[in-house]
Amino acid sequence: MRFRRMISFLDNLLIIFLMAAPAQAYSILGEEWEKFFKERVTFAGFIENTTGLSVAAGDSKFSTSNRFIMNRFVIQPEFNFDFDERVKLFISWRFVKEPRYNKEAKDRRRNSPSLQPLDNTFYDEDSFKPWEMVWDVHPIDRLSLRIGRQFISWGETDGLRLLDVINPQDGTFSPPAAANLFSLDETRIPLWGLRASYRLVPASNTALEFIAMPGYDGRKKRVDESAPTAGRWAPHPETRIPLGRLFANPIGAAPVVIPSISREFPDAGDNWRLGGRVIHSIGKLNFGLGYIWGFNPQPGDLTFKLLGTSLGPGGTTIARLRLFNDRTSIFAGHFNYPLEELKTALKGEIALYPSKPFNISKYPGSPGLKAGPDPRHPDGITEKNTLRYSLGFDRPTYIPFLQPEDPWRVFNFSFQIFQSIIFDHEDGIRAFSTAEKIKQVSTSLTFRVSTGYFGDTVLPDVFVGYDPEGYWLANPAITYVPPWNEKMRLSLIAALYGGRNKFKSFGSFDEKDSIFLKMRYQF
Amino acid sequence: MKPIVKSAAPTFSRNMTYGLILYVILCSLLSFRADAAEADLKPGDTIGPHNWERVKGMVGDNLLDRIKQGYSFKIKEPTRYDVPREYAEATRKYSGKVRLGADGELLNYVAGRPFPQIEPRDPQAGQKVAWNFYWRWRGDDYKAGGGTEIGKVIRYAIEKDGSERRADFVAYFLFPRTRVTLDPKPVIPGYEHIDSLQLRIDSYPRDSSGTATFEIRYADPKRPDDLYLYIPSLRRIRRATTTQRCQTLAPSEFNLDDINFFNGKITDFNYRLLGEKKALTNYTQKNVPYQRKQGDYLPIDEMWEIQDVYVLEITPKDPSYCTPKKILWIDKVAYEATWGMTWDRKGDYWKELALFRIPAKLPDGQVAWQEGTGYIVNVQNGRSSVLTTTRLYNQGFSPSLFTLDTMLRIMRGGTI
Repeated sequence: MRFRRMISFLDNLLIIFLMAAPAQAYSILGEEWEKFFKERVTFAGFIENTTGLSVAAGDSKFSTSNRFIMNRFVIQPEFNFDFDERVKLFISWRFVKEPRYNKEAKDRRRNSPSLQPLDNTFYDEDSFKPWEMVWDVHPIDRLSLRIGRQFISWGETDGLRLLDVINPQDGTFSPPAAANLFSLDETRIPLWGLRASYRLVPASNTALEFIAMPGYDGRKKRVDESAPTAGRWAPHPETRIPLGRLFANPIGAAPVVIPSISREFPDAGDNWRLGGRVIHSIGKLNFGLGYIWGFNPQPGDLTFKLLGTSLGPGGTTIARLRLFNDRTSIFAGHFNYPLEELKTALKGEIALYPSKPFNISKYPGSPGLKAGPDPRHPDGITEKNTLRYSLGFDRPTYIPFLQPEDPWRVFNFSFQIFQSIIFDHEDGIRAFSTAEKIKQVSTSLTFRVSTGYFGDTVLPDVFVGYDPEGYWLANPAITYVPPWNEKMRLSLIAALYGGRNKFKSFGSFDEKDSIFLKMRYQF
Repeated sequence: MKPIVKSAAPTFSRNMTYGLILYVILCSLLSFRADAAEADLKPGDTIGPHNWERVKGMVGDNLLDRIKQGYSFKIKEPTRYDVPREYAEATRKYSGKVRLGADGELLNYVAGRPFPQIEPRDPQAGQKVAWNFYWRWRGDDYKAGGGTEIGKVIRYAIEKDGSERRADFVAYFLFPRTRVTLDPKPVIPGYEHIDSLQLRIDSYPRDSSGTATFEIRYADPKRPDDLYLYIPSLRRIRRATTTQRCQTLAPSEFNLDDINFFNGKITDFNYRLLGEKKALTNYTQKNVPYQRKQGDYLPIDEMWEIQDVYVLEITPKDPSYCTPKKILWIDKVAYEATWGMTWDRKGDYWKELALFRIPAKLPDGQVAWQEGTGYIVNVQNGRSSVLTTTRLYNQGFSPSLFTLDTMLRIMRGGTI
């Protein structure tokens, strides 16, 4: 099996290299094809290796290791076909080789109950299914259609997602909010679908947009089903959920709860997503208003209904859970506005979730338990209107003494505030996966600064996040682009997390501070 | 003291008069000498370190230094050219009513050249040349990069040690309210308030490919440009402010106002016409891009020609602006800049721009000019950028191309 996978991977590599040499291929196809390939087809892509070293070696609270000790190798070939003014095609493939980690396997075996090691190809991507395949068609001047496997992104934020929830995020990328480590381009999963836009009044940028993603992507659950929120679209790819601490042990003798999950169709990758918005400019204000209906966007928002408990093997308890909110609807708005006097661009997003479901428990639970069933909500669910918004300020700023060689190279400062407000809030509303209470108002702040030195051959970029409840993250990076080759990039990236409770926001990865070396060659 | 000064005044005044006469004679002689040098230049002459004096004042100081150090080239016949007939016709039709406002703004302008006649002694001559430069003929639209073999603008960032990095992009321009060739003329309905729209898309290297900027310049002199940035890794559009006009567009040596030699809002600056002269340039570039040695920005195997230029001094109204003075040498026929020189706030020579041009065949068969290869060199840090920005004019771009929605459908690789 392992050998076959390796052969398949090498096959893919061979095909990429054959495709990467169109000069040889088209010359035998005749002049017209030669002309077509020369003038209408471009080939590009990248090869990348990411090596991570965990500074703090694991966390006993997690039953498996994470991927902070990692070695990931990616090849992504991309073709552009410029057929004519009205029809274009972009197609790319992504091939990933990332070996399973011994520590991960050991930790899983040590878990109670013991878990099988992940398959050695667990993190690999070796499918010939295109990563992106987009037909761009313009039947008439103002109408454009984008059909195929694609990314669709709304909103204005940087680093954290609010409205950028149409494509699911790949939960196997563990570090949350590490904007400098894996870009959203890499951590989102493209989906088959259609984006249609009609430019109603070009002069005022007024356009209508409609999106439909019918969910042709099959389910791809890549971890054991014992983890309630596990799966390709889950926040944690491994079994990390401290369910036992929440419910243990209602009926059995052993202080262990084995969750039994039922996640009914439609699932993350195979259900419909629909949306529409209007974009318009009034004076200096540019804004969009719309609606999204689809898969519950943020893994951390997943809500599970407790169907009941039963006695499991060895005195354990089986908690039967069902995913409650695989669907959600969002009334969405976003805007940007330049504050010229302050040399600042203001940006904002707003997302209103009507009757958003939350898990709710009574705190504390029975003696020894963190929480227990809330008598007001026997099924453990309550629904509340919820508002989330963000405000951001981007300002390019001269700091001549920090740029003695080029005093007019700006530092790009970006500050963002995110808030989530639960209307008619009740005590005991909690995140399912972490069993931490959610306050009526939750706040996160981010700050980012970036610039370039020595003709932009040295590019520092620092992303910092802070939760006023006492949690923080720092994600500094420095990239070197050799002055003699625009195709190479070498980045050193740190992902540092802090906070007293590792199950809250940025604290989720406390004691997992890591550094990464990323090498990238573009072709 | 006063009486002494008073009594000495006639003597001093007489001396001053003699001095002035002497000064004028000397200046005339010197200017005659310079003109003589210009007149001496003839096709086939070779300029090099042995005779650099012959082109003094006809090229930028940095190039003159390079000539002294060994750079050499030949002189060729000057190219004869004229503006396209529709532009000349619009100039005849509309220029009579054009006036300057109290703040130097342009009033009653419709299309064509705003001020076809420049009187050097006119105190507003500088402002008028600036407006002529701003509204020089550039077609009703154009694609920058369209004329190269690969259909892209090719830019090299060159370090002081000679190492180079390449980047390619395309840029689409639309001038919606001053149209002279394409219908509707002279203005696209709904676009009366917009001077120009520009969509620029990176196509190489891969990581920056698909990155795009969309810039709107408004007719209202007090309204700053709108600038949007599309980032392909985010698949999102970002708003940017355009008030930091001096920011370096690294890794190139350009800033926002250096684009096309001078990209500032006309009413944000003061202008003075310093005079007219002859300058060296090239309107029939031989190779596109021009050939050069690895690590150097200067062309080899290209000849230079003499053209008449206006010398325009540009000074900012904002005292905190990055440069206290910029000088453009503007071609008297096309009003295209052939040379640009910038000084920093300490008064030291900072950046020098020069650009070659090549003939451009228009869709209707007329022949005009287009940008060829040019360079900008930062003489203080030794970095330079070389760009080849050939153009395809009057492509009939739809206004709907210049929208935020277009940015959302830009592909990796830069196609739209």
